[in-house]
Amino acid sequence: MLSYEYIKTGDLQEAFKLLESREHVYPLAGGTDLIVGMRGGKFVPELILDLKDIEEFKVLTEDNKGITIGALVTLNEICQFKPVVDNIPILAEGCHSVGSYMIRNRATIAGNICNASPAADTSAPLYCLDAVVNIIGSGGSRTVPVDEFFNGPGQNALNKGELVQSVTVLKPYPEGKGVYFKASRTGSVDLATVGVAVQSWGDRVKVAVGAVAPTPVRALSVENAVNEYGEKDWSKAAALVNNDISPITDLRGSREYRYHIVEVLVRRGLEQTMGV
Amino acid sequence: MSEKITISFTINGDKETREAAVGQTLLSFIRDELHLTGTKSGCEIGECGACTVLLNGKPVNSCLVLAVELDGKELVTIEALSKNGKLDKLQQTFIDHAAFQCGYCTPGMIISAKALLERKPNPSDEDINEALSGNLCRCGAYQEIRAAIKDAAKK
Ligand SMILES: Cc1cc2nc3c(=O)[nH]c(=O)nc-3n(C[C@H](O)[C@H](O)[C@H](O)COP(=O)(O)OP(=O)(O)OC[C@H]3O[C@@H](n4cnc5c(N)ncnc54)[C@H](O)[C@@H]3O)c2cc1C
Ligand code: FES
Ligand code: FES
Repeated sequence: MLSYEYIKTGDLQEAFKLLESREHVYPLAGGTDLIVGMRGGKFVPELILDLKDIEEFKVLTEDNKGITIGALVTLNEICQFKPVVDNIPILAEGCHSVGSYMIRNRATIAGNICNASPAADTSAPLYCLDAVVNIIGSGGSRTVPVDEFFNGPGQNALNKGELVQSVTVLKPYPEGKGVYFKASRTGSVDLATVGVAVQSWGDRVKVAVGAVAPTPVRALSVENAVNEYGEKDWSKAAALVNNDISPITDLRGSREYRYHIVEVLVRRGLEQTMGV
Repeated sequence: MSEKITISFTINGDKETREAAVGQTLLSFIRDELHLTGTKSGCEIGECGACTVLLNGKPVNSCLVLAVELDGKELVTIEALSKNGKLDKLQQTFIDHAAFQCGYCTPGMIISAKALLERKPNPSDEDINEALSGNLCRCGAYQEIRAAIKDAAKK
């Protein structure tokens, strides 16, 4: 049996103190990364800090700023939230592609980005939507763009003593279609071999890709060709994604396969969002 | 040995107060402390669904929940389904359609299916695939499982 302390608190100030009280403190949200990681010895906590009583982290709202998703909102709740489905369906697609129905009943978007896997399925849609991460700690609150939140595999922008409070997708929402494609070895319960998000904003496009670099990345070469140079040959535009990525070989696929499949999926995404 | 915390919860309709070790998963608590062995252990990393239970009415992988997280919650396991020796309609239709070979995945499948029928009384194939996306059957009884769920929906 694993050995650590467990504390659940609904009080943010107490949570900040506890976070700083020991070297290895792990916040617990849905636990779908944390518990698997503890099993495998990847995480060795001295203290598990269960966040699930923190009311401030349970918000799920739309206001004049945009859509705010609290750190404790589950992926299934996000998939069913009407403002998400109506305005930013690409995020619902990304959330829906995670794990299985049961995993999504526990897993949160904050857990997904805090775990900072380059393959995190909510990340490429969040990059395309220019989402921001709202961070809170004893020193106050700060907000960082999602693409500055991912620092490398398993590395996020949080300082010791800080928590993710929520994620916000700001208005104006994109006018146009968005798609998220995930290539994986099985139809469910597998991480992405490659994840591709393409979102049109009128006649412009944003493209983000996952699992092909140490963090998710925007495919700026592709975006530039389409948005600045008017490239309409989607095959040519998609081929440029190679400049933006540095995939590795692992158990889910070889480097070469990733180069190939990411290009195919970017082309398909451009076709489906920008017209054939 | 890890620290213990007192937790209060409802198990299959009955209120209980117990000690739970902080290092224990809900799956191990259900099998080794509550001695309800209908819930099965397969992968213990969230991939197979053999350990599916209803936590506050929602299907979850009990191998990915800590026992101490049960405090204040309602837990339903496969043992709650048959009443006074009478099978639940899903248990009956699984038998009628021979929706298993070894039966190891069956408790998890039935729990996921029960939650589905509560959300959607007339599920489509797509709804069933979605609801069972985390329940694997190594014997490959998927066709029969779908048929059994559709049949139960009519009853
Ligand atoms: C079988 C299985 C399949 C999976 N499939 C996929 C998949 O297809 N795609 C995918 O992207 N992921 C997948 N995952 C990974 C996981 O489910 C997701 O990353 C999920 O979103 C994590 O959320 P959680 O709430 O469970 O996080 P937790 O496990 O609770 O936390 C994850 C990490 O973030 C930290 N943390 C959590 N909340 C906060 C917070 N508010 N502030 C600061 N730190 C915090 C934790 O300490 C921990 O280090 C899968 C996992 C399993 C077990
Ligand atoms: S034992 Fe829990 S999902 Fe396999
Ligand atoms: S019947 Fe054997 S695993 Fe499903």
